Amino acid sequence: MSVFYQKILMFTHFVWNKLRQPAIGMMTTYLLLLAEVTSAAESLSDQLQVHGFISQAVLHTTENQWLGDSAHTSFAFTEIGVNSSLRLTPRLLFSGQILSRRAGELSNGTPTIDFALADFNLVSSTHNQVGIRAGRFKNPLGLYNETRDVPFTRSGIFLPQVIYFDKVRNLALSSDGLLFYNDFYLENGNISFSLGGGWPLVDTNVENAYLFRNFSGQLQADNPGWLASFWYSNQSERFKLGLSAMTVDMQFNPNVNALPFTTPGAGHVDLLYLVASVQYNTEQWSFTAEYSREPIEWRQFGQLFPDYKANAEGYYLQTTYRFHPQWEWLLRYEEGFANRADRHGNDLEQISHGFIKKEMGFSKIFSTGLRWNINSQWMLRAEYQLHNGCFILSPRENPDFSQLERNWSLFTLQIGFRF
Amino acid sequence: MLIDSIVLSQVIDSNRWQWWRHIIVFLMSCSCLHLVQAQTIIINPSVHLTCIDQNTARLLFTMRIQQWPNQEHLPVRVFVLADDNPVHREFTKTVLEIFPYQLRHVWDRQLFSGTGQVPITLTSEQEMIMSIAKTPGAIGYVSILPKNSNVYTLRLE
Repeated sequence: MSVFYQKILMFTHFVWNKLRQPAIGMMTTYLLLLAEVTSAAESLSDQLQVHGFISQAVLHTTENQWLGDSAHTSFAFTEIGVNSSLRLTPRLLFSGQILSRRAGELSNGTPTIDFALADFNLVSSTHNQVGIRAGRFKNPLGLYNETRDVPFTRSGIFLPQVIYFDKVRNLALSSDGLLFYNDFYLENGNISFSLGGGWPLVDTNVENAYLFRNFSGQLQADNPGWLASFWYSNQSERFKLGLSAMTVDMQFNPNVNALPFTTPGAGHVDLLYLVASVQYNTEQWSFTAEYSREPIEWRQFGQLFPDYKANAEGYYLQTTYRFHPQWEWLLRYEEGFANRADRHGNDLEQISHGFIKKEMGFSKIFSTGLRWNINSQWMLRAEYQLHNGCFILSPRENPDFSQLERNWSLFTLQIGFRF
Repeated sequence: MLIDSIVLSQVIDSNRWQWWRHIIVFLMSCSCLHLVQAQTIIINPSVHLTCIDQNTARLLFTMRIQQWPNQEHLPVRVFVLADDNPVHREFTKTVLEIFPYQLRHVWDRQLFSGTGQVPITLTSEQEMIMSIAKTPGAIGYVSILPKNSNVYTLRLE
């Protein structure tokens, strides 16, 4: 079709040039160029992919607030994502995703750029693959971080909160920078390395979680963070093993007008985030375990906020059972601690003179859920969680710590659609 | 007379055994035929390959390699049937030896992290043959390949 148009345009071009009307001649030259671009775009349309998802949940908690006013039933958990990718050449991929996430007080649904990257493939063969990703990329942390906001890729309605904190999701979510990757395809399995650096996205949730409230001033990354990951999987993808890590250096910049007795000084929060992962899959069962460590250091905040070190820890055991091609059952137990040296939170309560309750130092969660894949596009889920502790709750949603209840449970229903 | 009848019965027995053996051999060949014929990898004639190993087939169908191994400038185009299609399920399990849900996990991870693309899903084997015949660099699969199709088959080593 476009060849036909090109011929017509060429003919018009010829005729008009003969008639010596240069302005219109130029216009047809432009149209000719446009036709060429369009025909190139036609072949590009094979390389362009657009996909997306949408989900809505309804939540109810017996005590405490989790994603909205959950104690009185909350609908404030909506995820919408649209992504597009263009493989310009086999060696060059552009991709991006817009995400709108409404999650109670934690996120109001303003669309954000989830990722936007260019993937330059330098070496590609049946033995290995080497390349660089530039732009905003999802951090390859643990089994789930890269796709944590896509309901279809999660093991439950919620990921294990002791590792994939939703209260500080932005910190580990993505980086603006460069990521180098090298995958080896061996006879005994695939090995994948990645190493990168970039700026994390620090937001108010991060400040609330690491400084326990939103002070007058801003917590910002003062250095780009480092990322590294190592993954092994056997050829049939049955067995997976991974180690991933990242560093984050943040600085608090108090407002000039902030009162010195109520606002901490220009201190630093530095942390390392480490995750070890293992997964075994059979046709019907998947067994997953992950362990994370997060050494954190608070320094130079002044007298109001003395120097402090903690080593947060989280782990979970999870099994999913696909008892029918359309149905999946989830069972998970997880434990997480704000400081592994203070698993009952006693020190936390003592250091903060009772401001931080000890329940905020740990979370022990039992989860069970059902997933029904209605068809290839629709999914319905139900999940029940029994909580002991409040470590995973955000101070932003539960500002009055005295109201926190140690034992609570959560019931959630979620519907999801993808295209 | 008695000896005769015993000999006769042995002859009948051995004949019966022969008969059973034929049936067993026939059934076995049928099932072999079924295994061989059930899933055939098909490619567009632009791809200059006659056979690949299982690992390469997995790399192609998990969208991990974008160019054909012997043809640097020919992009790979992967076509599949829906996850719940019996031909797809059989193909992933017996030829690739990956469970369909795992293949979906691999694709989803690439799709939703922006690190790769996903195959094009078609609705029928007929559409599969037509799409592969007209798309340079295309690869897919069918349960049984009709004669005179404008596609080549790719043997698995």
